[in-house]
Amino acid sequence: MENSFLSTKSQRPQDWQTMFEKWAEEAPKGPLKDYYLAGMISEKIPLQDTPLLALDLETTGLDPKKDEIISLGLIPFNSQIIRCNGAKYWMAKPEHSLHADSVTIHEITHSELAKAPPLSSILEGVLKALTKQVVVVHCVAIERQFLLAASMEVYGYPLYFPVIDTMGIERQVLHKPWWKRFGKPPSLRLDASRQRYHLPRYKAHHALTDALSSAELLQAQIAYHLDPKASISNYWI
Amino acid sequence: MEIELTEILEALCQHAPFNEIADDPQLENMVGETEVQYLRAGEWVIAPNTLNNTLFFIRSGAIEVLNKEEKLVRRMNEGELFGYASLLRGGKSAQSMRTIEDSLLYRIPARWFRQLYEENDNFSDFFELTREVRLRVAMDSQSSDVSLMTCPVVSLLRRPPISIHAEANIRMAAQIMTEKRVSSLLITENDELVGILTDRDLRTRAVAKGLAYDTPVANIMTNNPLVMDSGDYASEAVLKMMARNIHHIPIIKNNRPIGVISTGDIVQKESHGSVYLISDIFKQTSLEGLQAISEKMTHTFTQLVVADANTQMIGNAMSHIGTAFVKRLLQLGEEKFGSAPVPYCFIALGSQAREEQTIKTDQDNALILSDVYDEERHGEYFKNLSDWVCQNLDQCGYTLCTGDIMASNTRWRQPLKIWKQNFSEWIQKPKAEALLHLSIFFDLRGIYGDKTLAEQLNQHIRQDAQQHSGFLTFMARNANQRKPPLGFFRQFVLDGEGKQSRTFNLKERGIAPIIDIVRVHALACGSDKLNTLERLEDIEAAGLLPDGRAKDLALALEMIGIVRIRHQKDQIEAGEAPNNHVNPERLSSFEKRHLRDAFHIVARQQEFIKFRYAGKRS
Repeated sequence: MENSFLSTKSQRPQDWQTMFEKWAEEAPKGPLKDYYLAGMISEKIPLQDTPLLALDLETTGLDPKKDEIISLGLIPFNSQIIRCNGAKYWMAKPEHSLHADSVTIHEITHSELAKAPPLSSILEGVLKALTKQVVVVHCVAIERQFLLAASMEVYGYPLYFPVIDTMGIERQVLHKPWWKRFGKPPSLRLDASRQRYHLPRYKAHHALTDALSSAELLQAQIAYHLDPKASISNYWI
Repeated sequence: MEIELTEILEALCQHAPFNEIADDPQLENMVGETEVQYLRAGEWVIAPNTLNNTLFFIRSGAIEVLNKEEKLVRRMNEGELFGYASLLRGGKSAQSMRTIEDSLLYRIPARWFRQLYEENDNFSDFFELTREVRLRVAMDSQSSDVSLMTCPVVSLLRRPPISIHAEANIRMAAQIMTEKRVSSLLITENDELVGILTDRDLRTRAVAKGLAYDTPVANIMTNNPLVMDSGDYASEAVLKMMARNIHHIPIIKNNRPIGVISTGDIVQKESHGSVYLISDIFKQTSLEGLQAISEKMTHTFTQLVVADANTQMIGNAMSHIGTAFVKRLLQLGEEKFGSAPVPYCFIALGSQAREEQTIKTDQDNALILSDVYDEERHGEYFKNLSDWVCQNLDQCGYTLCTGDIMASNTRWRQPLKIWKQNFSEWIQKPKAEALLHLSIFFDLRGIYGDKTLAEQLNQHIRQDAQQHSGFLTFMARNANQRKPPLGFFRQFVLDGEGKQSRTFNLKERGIAPIIDIVRVHALACGSDKLNTLERLEDIEAAGLLPDGRAKDLALALEMIGIVRIRHQKDQIEAGEAPNNHVNPERLSSFEKRHLRDAFHIVARQQEFIKFRYAGKRS
């Protein structure tokens, strides 16, 4: 492999299976408990056999404490194939008013959102889709934080799950020791990362398109940098 | 919940053929089943010698196409499609495809390709196929790989031949057959086949007659049996077995026997009752027995349809069964009324003569008597025999001909010389109206008795017809009488005269016009064939049609024919009486589309013969 450091991690990998068992006991009855009860795949499963689920959220802003999820897109895939057949997309009506500026970014109109159900009622469907899948996102902080906040609000208990972060992979791939760095550091944004793999340019900021974008990016990263036979524990965080 | 993969849909719709069909609501569903795949440069997309079941769209990157020798054929870039050639060919890819840049591919499942190809003209036109090619492709995809039509007899052979030399005695033969567990034995002399001995021969020719065990096999074997070449089609073997009521055929390669195929082998290959049905017919000694068999015919018919037999095969099987009924009834008739006082030939007309019978058919037949026939002395015998046979055929499901074209009609029970006069009259002084009802007489086959009578008459017809072009003009004009439908809508058919109707007659509007067209050409080139497909071969060889047109007609006939027999099968299964009337609402989009193409071909060829055989005056 071109970047051998990617297959060995400095930290001990998290034992997701054990943690899921613990959370399954603690979580209140309902969809979240069911999600944890279903468990997580073994950390020994090779990357090429891992069921992956690209996920993207669009939100009213960047602060999980006060901003809200307004749409969520999912697309299932593996190291070889992305299946549009399993793609899912939800819109959620925010409880606070929608900021005018973010509306233009997302191409979602007020009237579309006004007709959408509240997040609390779509979360169960999202949890079902996430069951026993390894989530793939570009920039783990946003997606994890927002879903955690949503879960706390709806179920009063955290939602936490293993993630492969394409941005994190890209950061490691591009990592250079300080004495080799010069000029402006390369961008880690989704579109810029995709271009390094000759992937086409998509219109950003539609949750499903962005989910597809990050799925394609991970396939390209696998083709170039990762070892499909290495166990998933090397890559999930 | 609305799932919008707009990115994919929009990318597809920027390129042909999707830009032409962007308004097709199915596209969104297609995108919903599309898969996406990223490949680095230098990877196989379709590796050599692999099956392909995907239509590929290059979203980004580039692909090179290699031929079987791995030579570069061409390069493809963003927005191009590939893989469709192998989809049209049933998955087999003649070329292989490899990425030459990092590529993102959209993988569209084959069924979407086929569906759009069937239903959307703009889509299929992109693939630059003419109607004729499209029909050919459709027919190919319909025929099953395991069909008897396409497999050579050699593929049915299960073991090397078991043989014995001609001087061996019947006891040794029986011992070998028992030991090797075979029902037939080949008899050879110096490695060459001289005869065949079957279980039945041992039973009927040896045991029943009380022959001594040391009788040489040569005494009871069948000399110079019918053989087939290893490369012949299994379907021909079926037809030969049916025609001759035999159960074993030795297969020869380079003048040496390499095995025997039996009816059992064929039944194993494809569930096939028709061979047995025919031997059953010949075993019957009473009308009741024959009637009982005729009731099984619908079952045989549906079995053949289910087994994906094509119309040629079904037509052959049904005609041979029909012929077997006639033959057996004549044999029984001769037992009842005594043997015939003068030679005669019972002839089949129309579909039975062409070996294109289907399940629902009335009888069209006639009798040619030897010229020594004397009305006074022999008239009553043939009247009795003909009446009895025609009435009993009616009892067996071959209903009496409404036009009274039957041997029981004195007008159609004539000595050869009268028949010749009749035909000369029709051919030399043609009258359009009269000929319209007589066209089936130009499909005439001797099926029982002295068949040379029928051959002489056919020869007379061929000679006369070729010498009188005016006759062909009339026949060509008559072949234009029945126009195929112009189009189908969801609930009605627009017929050739621009009128709407709820149903249409597949036989009248499609099959009969093709048969008429082909008959005119066949008469023009002096073909001695009767079967429409065989006639087309002669017509093609004679160069009467532009290249490829004979094949187009054959395909159109098969397409319309297959819709007809499937329709009849459905009617039988629904407990209805089978007929030729089809309601377009009951047709699949596949059928509609290809019927439209087939009718288009028929209409064009009707036009063609109008000019090809145009008379001096209109």
